[in-house]
Amino acid sequence: MNTGLDNLDILELDRRTFLKAVGMLGASAFLGNYGTQIARALKVAETKVVWLNGAACTGCSMSFINSAHPDVVQAITELNVNIGYMETLSPQQGIFVDGAPAGTSELNSELKIEELVREGGYILVVEGAVPFGGSGRYLTIAGKPFKDILKQVAGKASAVVAMGACSSFGGVPSARSDIRKDTDYRGLLFTGTEKKGAFSELGIDKPVINLAGCPPNPEFGLITLGALILGKITPADLPDILDRYNRPTVFFPPDHTIHENCPRRGYYDKGQLDTEFSGEHCLRKLGCKGPYTHSDCATRRWNNALSMCTKAGSPCIGCMEPGFPDSFSPFYRESEGVGILLGADANTIAKVAIGAAAVGVGAHAVRRVMVSMKKHDAEPEKAEEAQE
Amino acid sequence: MTTITIDPLTRIEGHLRITAEVDERGIVKSARSSGTLFRGIERIAQGRDPRDMARIASRICGVCPTCHSIASVSAQDDLFGVASSVPRDALVMRNILQGLNWVASHATHIYVLFAPDLANPGYRKVLESRNLGSVWKELAGRFAPISYAIEGQPVPPGSSYLAAIPARRKLHEAMAVLGGKMPDQMAAIVGGVTYRPTAADITKVASYWIDTAGFVNDYVLPGSKGVDLDTWLSLTHDGVSPEKAVENLLGYMGGLSLNDLSREAGWSDAVLFAAFGSELVGEKLLSLPASLKLDRLGGYGDASKIGFLSYGVFYNAEKDGFDPTSPAGERFLSSGFTSGDLKREAFDHMKVTEHVAHSFYTSGSDLHPWDGATEPVKAGSDIGFEGDKYSWLKAARYRGIPSEVGPLARMINNKEPLVMGLAAAFAKNGYSPANVYTRMLARMQETLIVARELKKWVTEDLDPAGRYAVPTDLWMAKSGKGVGLWEGPRGALGHWLSTGGDSMIRNYQAVVPTTWNAGPRDGSSVPGPIEQALSGSAISAAGNALGADNANPVGILHVARSYDPCLACAVHTIDMNATQRSFLVVGGL
Ligand code: SF4
Ligand code: SF4
Repeated sequence: MNTGLDNLDILELDRRTFLKAVGMLGASAFLGNYGTQIARALKVAETKVVWLNGAACTGCSMSFINSAHPDVVQAITELNVNIGYMETLSPQQGIFVDGAPAGTSELNSELKIEELVREGGYILVVEGAVPFGGSGRYLTIAGKPFKDILKQVAGKASAVVAMGACSSFGGVPSARSDIRKDTDYRGLLFTGTEKKGAFSELGIDKPVINLAGCPPNPEFGLITLGALILGKITPADLPDILDRYNRPTVFFPPDHTIHENCPRRGYYDKGQLDTEFSGEHCLRKLGCKGPYTHSDCATRRWNNALSMCTKAGSPCIGCMEPGFPDSFSPFYRESEGVGILLGADANTIAKVAIGAAAVGVGAHAVRRVMVSMKKHDAEPEKAEEAQE
Repeated sequence: MTTITIDPLTRIEGHLRITAEVDERGIVKSARSSGTLFRGIERIAQGRDPRDMARIASRICGVCPTCHSIASVSAQDDLFGVASSVPRDALVMRNILQGLNWVASHATHIYVLFAPDLANPGYRKVLESRNLGSVWKELAGRFAPISYAIEGQPVPPGSSYLAAIPARRKLHEAMAVLGGKMPDQMAAIVGGVTYRPTAADITKVASYWIDTAGFVNDYVLPGSKGVDLDTWLSLTHDGVSPEKAVENLLGYMGGLSLNDLSREAGWSDAVLFAAFGSELVGEKLLSLPASLKLDRLGGYGDASKIGFLSYGVFYNAEKDGFDPTSPAGERFLSSGFTSGDLKREAFDHMKVTEHVAHSFYTSGSDLHPWDGATEPVKAGSDIGFEGDKYSWLKAARYRGIPSEVGPLARMINNKEPLVMGLAAAFAKNGYSPANVYTRMLARMQETLIVARELKKWVTEDLDPAGRYAVPTDLWMAKSGKGVGLWEGPRGALGHWLSTGGDSMIRNYQAVVPTTWNAGPRDGSSVPGPIEQALSGSAISAAGNALGADNANPVGILHVARSYDPCLACAVHTIDMNATQRSFLVVGGL
């Protein structure tokens, strides 16, 4: 692919061009092309990453370590990342002798995290939702409610990345059920599409990059961490590069959906719509939510760019959107309601369905949203949105 | 007595806390295993279209999403009345998706989660004190994890660790070819699968298989010495007696030189582990100067309080349809139950119950899953780990007996020669036949057995011209019920569901591997398998060879991690309240 970017020195790139470059090339190709430069750049400084697991299934970790070209260990090495804390991979574990932390931080995760928080300045990645029910004790780690740990660790982070649907929007743990009010699961900034997340409850005033997806594509994580580590984006830039749900627009394009680049799109255009599984045509009638889902699954594709859901005959279930899973459930029934209501084709539906943020909202509006978020002031923000 | 608490137990899936009472000699006297997270996925299932659970159940666990998805669609096949007609090609495809995830999950466990503990500093001291610094060099050089340091000196990630990460990644890629993506493949669906593979897909998956075999032959097995996957299985598995399988393994290891412990010299990862991991095999049978004594860890003291349970996995790939009750011999790895003194009986899922006496739920104990009624405690003050109730896991029992599930149980129930031979040798010499060493070797042996069968499924059975789904419609799920009996890499997995007149889910339940292995005490206060296995184990390296070190209780870590716990799977609620008792009747019974 000739992107016209092949000869750029990434160390010289400004933020926009950097993101454009990675967006066009995809993380794999990008890191493949620029691996040496990255290594050169990062001989300078080590970046610490703290990866917290909340109420998660660990699918985000598993997806993240599926990174290819370079694979995750290579990337960690080349980007000079020090994974200070990550339960799935870390050499440490919590060790308490008669209630007191024992040994050193080389083996004891409790001492390790204390050390990291003392020093501060790490990138915090959060996987999993945060329970507030039962005084937060629906998840405890080292005997402490997860929300308290989150508060402590987030306070000293230089940047916060929500990895996946659960930490971005509450995800499956916050889905509709008769005990949702008891468990009270939340994402960091949002719960579903509502700005009622863990951070405001905990009094944490920090922007969050939401890498949505159940799980997210590994390239989202790699590119975002790469950009943060290389200083290509800083927290101050976020209003310009995130959508209203704090998702980077480079992965979650506000102005188009999976439907536009879907490998089965040709059949849709010809009206060839499958009504049984394991056929080869468009999956719209089997419930596909591709027309409502803003992500680059169809162009970036999955697992080393090999395939994606609709290619494998599976209707998209909208896992990259804030309303997942409830807004897209039932997964396998055509979303007739929306179609009839709007009386329009899928492209128009998409634009309407995701509202002003998707189509019309520019950087300024997003910035206003961010500012009003910081004020914990929902009302004026609503008024602003209404004006848009 | 000293109380040692491990929380979080890392390098597992999810959130597990282990509390051990340890005596002055550094031996665990009693232990508690606590799941510390509650999500309530089964409650989330209620009121939904049952087909949604093919995807939502997959989110129970991101490490083994495929088994939940297939257990769920198996239950749906039963519910929709199509279990007997799911096309053979679709069953083959499900087998392949499951098999690829199986090998990836086992490889992840062996190399990324478990083996880093073999590079624990405790072993350096023990091995160097016995002039086996060369063994330490191999252990650290192969198995050290990322971001590791010992006494201030960074230890680079081990060579096998580094090779295993791309190997597991490639298996996920092979799954994506057939299932769209991974984690959470999208293809398994009621009535079959969503995708008919092309000839090009099959070639692609086959080439990924060759890559995997390359990893197996270069790292796991001494392929360079002529003992590749096929040869290994012919020596230790295919039509050989248990005695012969062990004899062949010992014969191979006995022929290796201690002067060169490299992989190239024939000490592949499996061989190095098989020789130096066990006191009986290494020190007594091969006369090595020292071993890690993992066969002294994680055994069971009372054979009457433990069993080995399997529900059966991988459909018979010869014909359309399957039996949802998984009778003995129906699946590639059969269902079965073997008692603690190794007597085998046929599996009958009616004998499964779950207790909540020591779990954070307020109702319904010792009930079969379909009679379950469970309510989680609501107040934070009721959620602690010192009291009577101390875990979010329930205590699953098979005719009242705590049961280990997983590779060791499957290999025992399927009379796998190498594992049976080793188990018999341990029993004869006064060791528990189940221990950390046999548990890990069983996982490795099973990985090889499944890997070889995968090749057949991909290259011989998968048919680009085949039929991949039977049509279904939502009305077929009206006022019905279904059961999906399957296995995850970690062990026996069952999903049960029932629907109302609107075809929506009334009740959904999953009884999962880690509930069996890591569950707490039951109504009679009998501890769960991990709790039992911790009792009597030495907390520090090589049976406390250099004394007990409370700050480095690697023995506890080995025992708990040897079960490959997956806590996200293990915590769930059953039906929503006591008044809404469920009423499932399993098809075919
Ligand atoms: S409706 Fe779905 S399957 Fe059909 S073209 Fe759009 S995204 Fe693809
Ligand atoms: S195609 Fe849809 S279901 Fe698949 S990963 Fe993308 S958003 Fe999720």
